[in-house]
Amino acid sequence: MRKEYREYHFDRMVQSIIHFASLAYDGTPKEAFGMFRYAPRFREAIETILKTGEPGVLLLKMIDKYLIEVLTAHERGKKIALCTFNFSPGVLKPLDVVPICLEPVTTLGVMMWLRGLGEYLNYCCEIGFTETSCSAQRGALGAYLAGLGVKPDFVLCNSIGVCDTNATAFNFAAEYLDLPFYQLNAPPLLTDERSQKYHRQDFRGLISFAEEQTGKKLDVDLLREVIIETDKQDMIMCEIEDLMRLVPSPVPGIFNVFMYSAKYIYGGSKEATDVMASMLEVAKRNASEGRAGTTSGKEDARAFAVYVDHYSAQLRPWSWLDSKNISHLGCMMNGFWPVHAPYAEENLKEGTYIMDSTNEDTMIDSLADQMSRMPMVKQIRGPYDDPHQWLSDTMASIRTYKPDFCMYTGTIGCRNTWGAIKILARDTEKMGIPTLIIFGDAFDHRITSWESMRDKIDEFLTVRGILK
Amino acid sequence: MLNEFSEVAKTLSNRFIQQWKDDGKQVVGFMCSYVPEEIICAAGLLPFRMRGIGASSTSIADTYFGPVICSFPKCILQLAGEGKYDFLDGIILIPGCDSIRRIDECWRKAAEESHGKFPPFHLYYGVPHKLTDYSLEWFVAETRKLVESLERHFGRKITPEDLTHAIKIYNQGRILLTRLDELRAGENVPISGADATAVIISAGVMPRDAYNRLLEELLQKLSRSTNGMTGKKRLLLAGSIIDDIDLVRLIEASGGIVVADTLCFGSRSYVDLVEEDGDPLVAIARRYLSHKLCPRMFGSYKERLEFMKQRVRQARVDAVILQNIRFCDMHGSENSLYERDLEAMGIPCLKIEREYGPLVEEGRIKMRVDAFMESLNT
Amino acid sequence: MLVAGCDVGSLTAKAVILSDGKILSQAVRRANSRPEESAKEIMDLALADAGLAFSDLAYVIGTGYGRRQISFVNEVVSEIVCHGKAAQWLNPSVRMVIDVGGQDAKAILVDENGSVVRYVYNDKCASGTGRFLEIMAEALEVPLGELGEQATISQNPVSISNQCTVFAETEVVSLLNNGKAIPDIASGLMRAMAHRIAALAKSIGLEPEIAMSGGVAKNQGMFSALEEVLGLKIMRLEGDPQINGALGAALLAEEAMRKTVS
Repeated sequence: MRKEYREYHFDRMVQSIIHFASLAYDGTPKEAFGMFRYAPRFREAIETILKTGEPGVLLLKMIDKYLIEVLTAHERGKKIALCTFNFSPGVLKPLDVVPICLEPVTTLGVMMWLRGLGEYLNYCCEIGFTETSCSAQRGALGAYLAGLGVKPDFVLCNSIGVCDTNATAFNFAAEYLDLPFYQLNAPPLLTDERSQKYHRQDFRGLISFAEEQTGKKLDVDLLREVIIETDKQDMIMCEIEDLMRLVPSPVPGIFNVFMYSAKYIYGGSKEATDVMASMLEVAKRNASEGRAGTTSGKEDARAFAVYVDHYSAQLRPWSWLDSKNISHLGCMMNGFWPVHAPYAEENLKEGTYIMDSTNEDTMIDSLADQMSRMPMVKQIRGPYDDPHQWLSDTMASIRTYKPDFCMYTGTIGCRNTWGAIKILARDTEKMGIPTLIIFGDAFDHRITSWESMRDKIDEFLTVRGILK
Repeated sequence: MLNEFSEVAKTLSNRFIQQWKDDGKQVVGFMCSYVPEEIICAAGLLPFRMRGIGASSTSIADTYFGPVICSFPKCILQLAGEGKYDFLDGIILIPGCDSIRRIDECWRKAAEESHGKFPPFHLYYGVPHKLTDYSLEWFVAETRKLVESLERHFGRKITPEDLTHAIKIYNQGRILLTRLDELRAGENVPISGADATAVIISAGVMPRDAYNRLLEELLQKLSRSTNGMTGKKRLLLAGSIIDDIDLVRLIEASGGIVVADTLCFGSRSYVDLVEEDGDPLVAIARRYLSHKLCPRMFGSYKERLEFMKQRVRQARVDAVILQNIRFCDMHGSENSLYERDLEAMGIPCLKIEREYGPLVEEGRIKMRVDAFMESLNT
Repeated sequence: MLVAGCDVGSLTAKAVILSDGKILSQAVRRANSRPEESAKEIMDLALADAGLAFSDLAYVIGTGYGRRQISFVNEVVSEIVCHGKAAQWLNPSVRMVIDVGGQDAKAILVDENGSVVRYVYNDKCASGTGRFLEIMAEALEVPLGELGEQATISQNPVSISNQCTVFAETEVVSLLNNGKAIPDIASGLMRAMAHRIAALAKSIGLEPEIAMSGGVAKNQGMFSALEEVLGLKIMRLEGDPQINGALGAALLAEEAMRKTVS
């Protein structure tokens, strides 16, 4: 790692960018956008977020609040857990634990910084990661392993049985920093009684582990709050997703990444609910005016990403799709599967979760069910064409949102999706949905530049006759 | 006799398999050491540890698999697509690691498109990644399902006596292999690492009772042997799977001798036994789920390091070669932890990344091993 | 009516001038790192050959890797469309085009009108492209043009299964050091590359008749290796396969003119 990188506190840097960006909008828009001239490196991403108006501002304020919580956790006597992204943070609130949501923090870094997180990515390889391991962890983790961020007290992993390269990164971090480690493990099945029981016991194991680490008991009142809040925000999220079915879709494409960011970073909190509610307002307004959620108000095509989005380009993928009047209808990362979700068709209901606040046991079971259905944990745990797996979920999204085309981008660390994408793309093509597989890395622009990916998408849209 | 083993280890469908098939019996393939061979054996079937040796391209496999996948499952699918696995009557696939587990759908699609080359029986068998009372309970149920599927398809009831008998045979094989390790640990090493690898690989690809007899003979011969090798640097081989004798030979050509390993085709497959009393099915499930020597069992690095240290001490190892197949992040990253911890103990390590398959990188690997051996000798 | 197609690839630039459905002139030369300049040079060559001036052309379409940087054309079109168009024009029964260029390889499925149905690119890696052969020819110290011929005389092709260009190069060097004959290595390389391209084509489903275009199609060794690996005959198209991108662009230019006229 270059010397100058060692002089800055990583979390502090991310937080200060987000903090000042979120304040910018408190002045007049003219003041705000005038100020961005002085922040050329972060400008594009921040502008793209703030252009959405209130939802973007609320999102930045939410992230800012979260990062401050992480930065001050130890002074406030709280323990910090290094967590996978697909770890509903609401789970940790009643345990008095503050999570470092690793992949979302990597995402913030690669989205905001012109040069991405190359130095941190490389640092992981310098100390022993393979260069083929997933960039989603390697980004921010490089900073934590180099001691340039807050110091986690223990590690919680929700990707065992789901993604080896992810689990390996967390395992490595625990060994390297000598931290206690707890893994939630997903068997290949989800809805059968045996696997449900497994998940619920495994989750109780997590609670005991966290209680041991903090020396505190699970706060049942806080647990109830989280359950109720999660249910509320899920209802709003589902309403937004329901509006996405309209043609044109009144939901701005970037709202999808806002939704899953809010869930990953602050799911179960009031702040996340506020972000969702604000997005719903905008979407409803567009719907009532018959406008698409794109800047122009027009929709020329509808897109669905079968895996993740592409993060390492200052949010350019979203602004580019928007400039082409293409509604982005989300990706696998949006597949949380609450019972009200529009894609949760009748025969797929057993793959969903409900928030049941009846008593402590039902609440814990609800969270266990939610955790076992988090994006990726649900879809890529077993054979791709098993019930409730990747193919079934992709098909449900296609039937629900009616995209004109599908895209796949991932990371070069993703054995699991690269292992089945050619087969999945055949199935979606057979359904009549043109599907583009792009070789790139969502968190490392050095693998394929966004410009080159954009040209491939552009060519695809023309050659396959999607955009006339 | 060593020739016999090396013949078996070098050919995909060896003479024992041919004999077995000629006798009208059936063979079931598997790709990961977390599949209980005892159960396949108890069903009167021959468990066959699948390998990718002899694949000279991966064009069939690349039709289904994406680009950033380990070459081991790709080579296996390639051979199957070329009809070289036509002696199999069934296959059991598991989530050993992500590259291995995605062969499930690639295999099925390839089978749909090339009739007759792929076996009719296909089962996906789940193995959890941690050992707790509830994961064992889940795994016992999964193992019962495996038993039932085999019974249904192959039309033969698996009784507790069948299981107990199979456990005995496999345990005996494991004990014999441990004796081989003891001989290799001596001052005078009676067998080269390459030959020992051939012996160990053969265990997974021939009937185990015949194997045990052959191995027992070999052990007697080796224990009487007086012209062992001395004075060479003693190496331990660790990391991703190696079932290629020529790779071990290449490493030994630089002057060292491989006296121990912590490999999947190697010692990991025989160091722990199945308990011989109690419910045999539960005992089998417990043995396989308690097995923490593969990095797929996350959170157990310290136990694996302990095992590594024990083998280093036992075989008086001078240096360790840590290798991983490209795209194997589990072994690749863990190898770095071993390097850190072993070197801190004063044991030199060489870390290499390689491809699975015929020795295409001979020059590249040789150069690295040569340099490493030179540094050990100075 | 005079129209032209100009194809600026990563290694070479190509131009074709058409006069009422007939090829009037064509040109191929090495591209430099500035697409605009390469495009101008290659157009000048083709124009000089036909004794024409740029102003004589009614419509010009640009294609290829550097197409966005060509300012003088009337329109730019993806080379996928151009290769599909040209192959189908040269032989109407073609349903799949395998185009192997300097930097990438593609398999393209076309319908009876020459329109693209589905296509796929190689992964980012250079193995399976013209550049791969160039690097290997350099390592073997054989002129690129002779590599294919060398391969055809091989008695005992070596097995080269390395997927990475960089590793394959070191592999070639160690094979040479081990005394392997150049024709055998060349043949091994052709097969290795043919396997990569075959996997690409098979991943979207083979559809006869299959034609090959792009510079690598000129390589006889490659052509036969691919036929062998696919187990299917590959159609030989008339003319120089390397100019098919430019030809397709010129054909599309003609279509565009016809539309404006009617």
